[in-house]
Amino acid sequence: MLIKVPSVVNLGLETIKVDIEINLANKGLPGFEIVGLAGKAVDESKERVRTAIQSSDVDFPQKKITVNMAPADVPKEGSMYDLPIALGILSSVLEFKIPEKSLFLGELSFDGSLRHTKGAFLMALFAKESGYTNLYVPKDSANEAAAIKGIKVFPVTDIGQLCRHFLGQEEIIPIVYKQGKEEKTTHVEFDMKEVLGQEQAKRAMEIAAAGGHNIIMVGSPGSGKTMLARALPGILPPLNEPESLEVTKIFSASGGIPPGGSLITARQFRAPHHTASLAGLVGGGSKPQPGEISLAHRGVLFLDEFNEFPRAIMEALRQPLEDGYLTISRSKQRITYPADFMLVASANPCPCGYAMHPKKSCTCGPNQIAKYQKRISGPILDRIDLHISIMPVDASDFKDNQAGSEFLESSEKIRQRVMQAREKQEVRFADEIICANSQMKNSHIKKYCKLAKDVEEILRQASLKFNLSARSYMKMIKVSRTIADLAGSEEITVPHMAEALQYSPRNFETA
Amino acid sequence: MAETVEIDDKKYPQRLKEALKNLTGSLGPKKLYYKGNWSPEIFENCLAVVGSRHLTYYGRKATEQLVTECAAAGITIVSGFMYGGDEAAHSAAVKCGGPGRAGKTIAVMPCGIDRIHPETQKKLYQEILEKGGLIISEYPDLDQPQQWTYVQRDRIVAGLCKAVLVTEAALESGSLITASYAKKFGRKIFAIPGPITSELSKGTIKLIKEGAEPITEAKQILDFFKILPSAKKPSASNGGMSDIPPTGTLEEKIINQLRREPLKADEMARLFAVPVAQLGTSLSLMQLKGFINLEGGKYYIN
Repeated sequence: MLIKVPSVVNLGLETIKVDIEINLANKGLPGFEIVGLAGKAVDESKERVRTAIQSSDVDFPQKKITVNMAPADVPKEGSMYDLPIALGILSSVLEFKIPEKSLFLGELSFDGSLRHTKGAFLMALFAKESGYTNLYVPKDSANEAAAIKGIKVFPVTDIGQLCRHFLGQEEIIPIVYKQGKEEKTTHVEFDMKEVLGQEQAKRAMEIAAAGGHNIIMVGSPGSGKTMLARALPGILPPLNEPESLEVTKIFSASGGIPPGGSLITARQFRAPHHTASLAGLVGGGSKPQPGEISLAHRGVLFLDEFNEFPRAIMEALRQPLEDGYLTISRSKQRITYPADFMLVASANPCPCGYAMHPKKSCTCGPNQIAKYQKRISGPILDRIDLHISIMPVDASDFKDNQAGSEFLESSEKIRQRVMQAREKQEVRFADEIICANSQMKNSHIKKYCKLAKDVEEILRQASLKFNLSARSYMKMIKVSRTIADLAGSEEITVPHMAEALQYSPRNFETA
Repeated sequence: MAETVEIDDKKYPQRLKEALKNLTGSLGPKKLYYKGNWSPEIFENCLAVVGSRHLTYYGRKATEQLVTECAAAGITIVSGFMYGGDEAAHSAAVKCGGPGRAGKTIAVMPCGIDRIHPETQKKLYQEILEKGGLIISEYPDLDQPQQWTYVQRDRIVAGLCKAVLVTEAALESGSLITASYAKKFGRKIFAIPGPITSELSKGTIKLIKEGAEPITEAKQILDFFKILPSAKKPSASNGGMSDIPPTGTLEEKIINQLRREPLKADEMARLFAVPVAQLGTSLSLMQLKGFINLEGGKYYIN
């Protein structure tokens, strides 16, 4: 007897339909085989399926069982095929029909219950595109799948319940999508008003958040670089709907959605340590997985102690910084993961860290300092829009004027301004594929950032005086566009451009 | 490449020989290796200028101002070619004056004559030679500098000169070693007074307390050397301030404040109670006009 149960395989973010064909033969020795480039986890599902069926008070059929996963030349990985395989066997034993236009996915426990399984969201997207109407997934994975409208998602608690459903003895009601509270996956550690002083740095953070610009902070230990970066999520706008879908896709592929989770609406803040491996950071492995840069898609990638990162990792960031995606090529497959993140980097000015410190004296020679700063390559620095130096603040300056100071704005207030600036950008780029000022290519700059004569003259003078590269020149225009957006101005005027120049790369050189 | 001068040679600087003889009875380095322009005139009026390796902006500005005037008047600037204070002195000397009458300078190396140490100052090394300066060492070939050779070098620096100018020095520093040699040799010592809060002024202040002459203008040095100042005033600073901002503006406030002390952008924003965005705009524009300068995170008046 031959049974077909449809399921899917995820290759990166791409989803392909897989037919699970199950043959129960009366001839031959009883046994259980899986063919069709099944990985280790798939192969082991034999034991889970056998035990789960027996736990559900059904006798495991003493027949020669062969499972084929078609197409047979695509490698299949993971525990998601437990449910379709078990269902196929049970439909033969209990004699029920597998409904049409349905997809199945789920990992089985020995007791027959279904566990939270990654990839449900991607399968739902595929179902919608390919005209499937019913999805049978574990209860804990049902909510994320239900975020896609127009398909019925059945939350299944255990395999017995599903059989009874098909036999008409018990009804499973399709789940209604419930958006979780705006879950801050990274909770905000600091409010901007807790950061004393550092007015200019906070302003730079505001600009970075408003336009999605990359930013580097250079300063002595203890000057507040990390604190500023940790306060950044508090001023970021929430993800809009298409962005939210993109991010949720990546998280679904990497198993990053918690049980019962819903669409991810908060911008991600990823802060990998500098000992992270290349594959961990940019993605990779023999079965290419998304790395930290993809998990930070549409969010923030914070690299603390930037010049401690190995050269290979820094250079690997170049392409995604420019293109917003990364293609991982393997001999057997090529997988593209989106990686459009905002890079926030912090670095010390010299090995001892005190080169710019007003009180402590630095013990490094100019040779050492030059070597240390060279660890961040020119091409990377060139791709960073905002450069700021952070000086330590004297806490005693703040004792009396701390309360109610206009300089101590709360994150929420700054966030309002950031969101207004983002709205302006959304309107501007409505017909484009980009959505933030930082993503503008030269053609966009020509179209959306017309500079008046006097503004261009300022920029020209500055590029001579501060030795700006051609790329930095363009970056300055983008930054000034964001500053104008924050000010609610349609035109880029001289003050906007002049302020943008405050954050040009020259700061790092004088460190 | 490098040439040598023996101690018995007539060319050997007598001032150095006598200084060391009076002090220790020894005759000083038997052989001096040199590169560049060895002439009796270059040893005639020597002023040693030494300062901390971690020279502050203030120290650099003061060094430039004093050295430029002294070198233009014909005084030879002698120093140790270290980065920081020494480098500032050599650079100011080679940069002053026009072609043909560049400031004279002597660099006394702590390493073998064929080694450029520190290597980062290769350009300055070439410039000293091109502009008729002199590189001296008592060590041959590519010998590495050792901790004790720096101190040995200091005795030559002090020995060659009539007077020593200490620009900035911490309490324990090579500059004070040079000064102590100078004292033993009976040389005049000048010190630049600095803020009492700065670590790098503690050494110079100590010297002043012990009797060194606090220096505020190059004329003091020129008077000591009995040399008239160069007819053409060298233009070291204060260039391009013709375009003065109108009164009452933020720009004017900034300039007045920076005349008193260098400040960070954040501090100015707090002081004038203006949004840092607006302040940044003014600062950029003033920088472009050449009124102010940013160094090490602080703004300085030009």
